[in-house]
Amino acid sequence: MIASDEVIALVGVGILLTALYLQSESFVDPLILGIAVQSLLLGVLLGWLAWTEHSLDLAVLAGLAVAVRAVFIPYVLRRQIRAFRWRIRERHAAHRVTGHALAAVAVAIIAWFVFQQTLASAFPEVGGALPFVLLLQGLLMLATRANTLVQVMGYLEEENAVVYAGALFAQGFPLFVEVVVFLDVLGVVLVGVILSIQRDVTGTPEESPLEELTG
Amino acid sequence: MDPTEQIVNVVQAATVLLLSPLLAGILARAKAWTESRTGPSIFQPYFDLAKYLRKETLVPSVSGVVFRVAPFVAFGSYLLISVVVPIITPYPIPFASTVDFLGGGLLFGLAGTVTLLAAIDSGSNYSALGASRTVSFAAFAEPTLIVVFFAVAVITGTNNPYVTNNLLASSLSAYLSPTHLLVTAAFFLLLLAETGKLPVESAGLMEFGMLEDGRIFEHSGRLLGLFRWNGWMKQFLLCSVFLNVFLIPWGMFSAPTLGGALGNIAILLAKLLLVVVVLVVVEATVAKVRLFKIRDFLALSFSLALLSVFAFAVLGVP
Repeated sequence: MIASDEVIALVGVGILLTALYLQSESFVDPLILGIAVQSLLLGVLLGWLAWTEHSLDLAVLAGLAVAVRAVFIPYVLRRQIRAFRWRIRERHAAHRVTGHALAAVAVAIIAWFVFQQTLASAFPEVGGALPFVLLLQGLLMLATRANTLVQVMGYLEEENAVVYAGALFAQGFPLFVEVVVFLDVLGVVLVGVILSIQRDVTGTPEESPLEELTG
Repeated sequence: MDPTEQIVNVVQAATVLLLSPLLAGILARAKAWTESRTGPSIFQPYFDLAKYLRKETLVPSVSGVVFRVAPFVAFGSYLLISVVVPIITPYPIPFASTVDFLGGGLLFGLAGTVTLLAAIDSGSNYSALGASRTVSFAAFAEPTLIVVFFAVAVITGTNNPYVTNNLLASSLSAYLSPTHLLVTAAFFLLLLAETGKLPVESAGLMEFGMLEDGRIFEHSGRLLGLFRWNGWMKQFLLCSVFLNVFLIPWGMFSAPTLGGALGNIAILLAKLLLVVVVLVVVEATVAKVRLFKIRDFLALSFSLALLSVFAFAVLGVP
């Protein structure tokens, strides 16, 4: 018999694996699919927690995570790059898979050490460090990428981490559902409006001011 | 010492020696099918081997003693490995206590190193180029192997492949633990790289990207035959360890009898056919990566192995 903790652990590691994939991928279209898979796994985790704890709130959140994060936002993002879906990628030659994959693992290990030193006693749940690790993975992606679309995905990964943490630690917390819905709406606005404006004004999702500083 | 154990010992070594060319032959034939070719007979490696052993051996005048001795040392290493890892028995046979997992890794390292030294000793630029390429990628593959050992040790608390096999066969939760799943994935990627499969290397072709064949460019006749046999044994051993320790630890007869061991050979062959299918699907579906991208492939393998140990630290379940 597989215990509940083990399911949570397996899905948690699956989410971590998608984070590693997102770090080492430079093409945008597979990145969007990657974030969709990550959100789907998050939905599965929320669904499992809802099932074991008979919680309607969590079941609603699982549905929301799948509908908004795994389906709607990836759909909108793919529409954004519809015209040149197969070619769009990070343009910087400095992007190396080896470096990014190893940096991702290094950041994960650092995040775990920090978690052990600071928060571990407050959150003793199985895999309690994983949301924290995922949050820093999103931050790493925001910091190392120059493409706005990819940065949006880093932001979505951070949101996923917040939802993940909420699901593990803040069950029954009254504002939890509202916070997640707010993040969903923010994500939709971000990808639907801001990216469209940027595309219409500059014609490219690349951040040009950053390039000026690279020398 | 129990005479049955001694016989099983010999049978296991003979299994590796005699069936490793067959595995290579089946792989070549299955690969040919995916390319709509009839392909060579599955016994072609045996014919090749017989031919190599008959042919005259030419040795470059500038080469030294290492050039001639290396194939034998490597052959001896693989033969020793073949009696210390679980291949046809789920219980340790007499030689198994000689080394643990790390020792097995070191023996693989010894065989690889003498092959490299022989390539350098040949005095040929092509062989030296093959050697330098191999080491520059091995520098990324070796850490993965070490971390895989760590992960195995983490799962069982020992560094013994037989204990790992028994634990994984008896505990589904240990088998499904993230640590084990990740380390299996990492080992599979390493298997592809070490046995010269796509996407790392398209073996057998005289092309610029060759790694394994580049090193034995100058060897001929009997020495080349031994090197070829070494390559097949290495592939057989790695596939067996991958199957019996990581992927399919179940299904072996545990009775310490000769009949049980012989039955396990048939079971191993059936498992190996599964690996052949997987390898052929991989070879038929992925393209060869550029030479400098092999590092990325190995870095991915290393990251997975590292994550497996990390998963244990974070989740606390083996």
